[in-house]
Amino acid sequence: MDTNSKFLHTIANPRINTNGGLLHLDMQPTTSSSSDSAAEGTGDAKWASRLLRDCAAAMSDKDSAKIHHLLWMLNELASPYGDTDQKLAAYFLQALFCKATDSGRRCYKTLISVTERSHSFDSARKLILKFQEVSPWTTFGHVASNGATLEALEGEPSLHVIDISNTLCTQWPTLLEALATRTDDTPRLRLTVVAATAAAKSAMKEIAPRMEKFARLMGVPFEFTVIAGLNRLGDLTKDDLAVREGEAVAVNCVGALRRVDVEERNRVIETIKSLNPKVVTIVEEEADFSSNREDFVKCFEECLRFHTVYFEMLEESFAPTSNEKLMLERECARSIVRVLACDDKVEDCDSERREKGRQWSERLREAGFTAAAHSDDVVDDVRALLKRYRAGWSLLLPGEDGIYLAWKEEPVVWASVWKPS
Amino acid sequence: MAMVMDLGFLSYDDYSAMDAVTTTTTTTTSTTTTTTSSTDEGCNWNDWSPVVDWEALSGDQEDFQNLIDSMIDENNVVLQQSIRPSYVHEEYNNQSPEYNMATDEDSKGLRLIHLLMEAAEAMAGANKCRELARVILVRLKELVSPTDGTNMERLAAYFTDALQALLDTAAGGAKHALGGGEHHRSDVLAAFQLLQDMSPYVKFGHFTANQAILEAVAHDRRVHIVDYDIMEGIQWASLMQALVSRKDGPPAPHLRITAVSRSGAGRRSFGTIQETGRRLTAFAASIGQPFSFHQCRLDVDETFRPSSLKLVRGEALIINCMLHLPHFNYRAPDSITSFLSGAKTLNPRLITLVEEEMAPTSDGGFVGRFMDSLHHFSTVYDSLEAGFPMQSRARALVERVFLGPRIMGSLARIYRARDEEGGYSWGQWLGAVGFRPVSISFANHCQAKLLLGLYNDGYRVEELTTNKLVLGWKSRRLLSASIWTSQDSDL
Repeated sequence: MDTNSKFLHTIANPRINTNGGLLHLDMQPTTSSSSDSAAEGTGDAKWASRLLRDCAAAMSDKDSAKIHHLLWMLNELASPYGDTDQKLAAYFLQALFCKATDSGRRCYKTLISVTERSHSFDSARKLILKFQEVSPWTTFGHVASNGATLEALEGEPSLHVIDISNTLCTQWPTLLEALATRTDDTPRLRLTVVAATAAAKSAMKEIAPRMEKFARLMGVPFEFTVIAGLNRLGDLTKDDLAVREGEAVAVNCVGALRRVDVEERNRVIETIKSLNPKVVTIVEEEADFSSNREDFVKCFEECLRFHTVYFEMLEESFAPTSNEKLMLERECARSIVRVLACDDKVEDCDSERREKGRQWSERLREAGFTAAAHSDDVVDDVRALLKRYRAGWSLLLPGEDGIYLAWKEEPVVWASVWKPS
Repeated sequence: MAMVMDLGFLSYDDYSAMDAVTTTTTTTTSTTTTTTSSTDEGCNWNDWSPVVDWEALSGDQEDFQNLIDSMIDENNVVLQQSIRPSYVHEEYNNQSPEYNMATDEDSKGLRLIHLLMEAAEAMAGANKCRELARVILVRLKELVSPTDGTNMERLAAYFTDALQALLDTAAGGAKHALGGGEHHRSDVLAAFQLLQDMSPYVKFGHFTANQAILEAVAHDRRVHIVDYDIMEGIQWASLMQALVSRKDGPPAPHLRITAVSRSGAGRRSFGTIQETGRRLTAFAASIGQPFSFHQCRLDVDETFRPSSLKLVRGEALIINCMLHLPHFNYRAPDSITSFLSGAKTLNPRLITLVEEEMAPTSDGGFVGRFMDSLHHFSTVYDSLEAGFPMQSRARALVERVFLGPRIMGSLARIYRARDEEGGYSWGQWLGAVGFRPVSISFANHCQAKLLLGLYNDGYRVEELTTNKLVLGWKSRRLLSASIWTSQDSDL
């Protein structure tokens, strides 16, 4: 059949079953409402997820008529300014479209450059702070990691914290305050921040003087270094970090490891190990876009699952017309295009292929790390943190490989502590 | 010991507040301080505007939309063909020779058709998803209005409303008032008049039925017509006129008309049946036609009781069933079935049936029949526009008063029957329950052709079967008039 009639066929013959006959439902015309509910089945699943998954399946099957049809439908119904379904439809449509037209790389680079052009340090900072105000998504990791770091470095006079993260140093004021207030002898703190993106590099110019001033106010002897020469995190070497004799090193990776190309992840972890750190704190979003990267449909479904939770969380956490929420959604849009419509390796671009806690744990163990559970005190602090936010958040403690922040029972962020074995 | 931390909300910006405080208290002449009070979020580091450029951010979204739209661009034939169903493609091609120069109007029209089809599919197709149907209808409502725009746009608005009504009802909402509620009586009369003037839809049915009746009762002295839906009775005015002016044969027979009425119908916009009766009586008197008028009430559930008819020995019984003219309450199939079955028990001389002609859809299911209905009404709209291109307000009135409710009823009927195999027409039903066809006479056929000659030349009449005349617009059949009998007599 040519594509036209095949297309029409799929619409006009909805119920040709293998016997070739029409399904006969119990039809009592006057009680049509009851026969409707009987025939419902999965009829009321969310429409966006339905269409998106059908489209992903069609792409995998290379059914071009169906692909076009579904892309058309999604385009009609999607909107980045609508409800959660419409937003998911819009952003995933963009990725699907890019995949269908093989334009993912171009689209991603455009999105990145648009963001860089239009964001300033100020707006990026406001965004992070607002997000921290309405949701524990990032503060969870901060509290858990800072707690573990402080405990591990207790009594050390000279601390070197290596920060590989995406939160523009918003984690460190509380650490500095803790250092200042809880010990009698305030240790020296050296903070090395690894900035691998252009946005991060320019942000650091603004952040450095602020951090220095803050540390002065806290009365903590402080040294701030930015490693800005890297194009990619995967290029990080031990020498770049210039660890000094006698320093107690803590490495903090928040949302960082996922930005490393998948094949280089083990190497980066080994590099971290080679610094002989006292403690390594890792925080990552709980999703797996890595083990399924050869299977488009599986990867798509996981991507959709994760971002559905994320978008719903954003919807409930922010005010309806929040600019910050929109910016975070657009960040997801870039990430979705990167994962679904681009090759694994895109030069000068971060990876975005998240892995779950379980997967990172395997890597860390292979590299010679052992998991260290968060102490009860830290867990209490995290619980107290969650109480400050709206209902819906909870803490999951399944085992020793870290703790999970959960939104409506779904684990969404993983925080863990590692020490060299 | 639990750590005391100001959890999460302390930021390095707070320093600037402290800094400002310390600076002012020490009153140095230092110029390194910020300009701020504690309310300013910090910064002196303000060499640029922090405003996020939304235009730039949304720019790529719009480009993206355009990218998608270009997929449906007429230059991109392959994509276009795979999006536009060929089913509609052909019919539109036939209708308008200018079609191949696809215009914006055409692509919007196609887009609307596609959306409507998707909505129908989502409502009752294989992968039913009410949420999806609801969302598509929301989108459609953004794009169309029942009073503005092209034929297709206005039509799409009515179809959208009809689908919405089905969706609401199916979701357990209150039964939607099909027919869209009351219209002003003056609107209805005006619309009816306009419909008659602008198209042969009304007269075709009346004239064909009347001619068959005249031929059937040529030698009868008493004629009794039972009319399922008399409305304002204009069909009988012209019949009476014809009876009275018969040149040959016996004098005008006594004519009795029984109008079937619904109980509890409330005040219909056409006025009550009594008023119709009075009007017909007066008219008959004025032309010297012996006449009497009766009513026959249906039960509350619209069951027809033949025994409630007053019958007179020796009269020729005619059953008249005009189903194509919209009534404000949708006629449930059960009501019509009850009427026609009951009528059969009375052994009538003739049954005249006029109904919408829908193309046979063998395996269309709900979506196929929905598309057929869309096609049908689209043709009606086109026919009205072709005849009266400038009278858009008049057409809009007809659309609102008659066609809109008709669309609602048509979809409701299709939806109810969605899981039944092959829709049937009432004509088929009559044949199936044992009524016999009666041939349409040559004279009748000619009269129909003459009638059409008074209107735009796009109208056609064809004798589809020996007992059925079909009125069509260009290649599409719209209305059929068929004649039946239940007797073995040699009519």
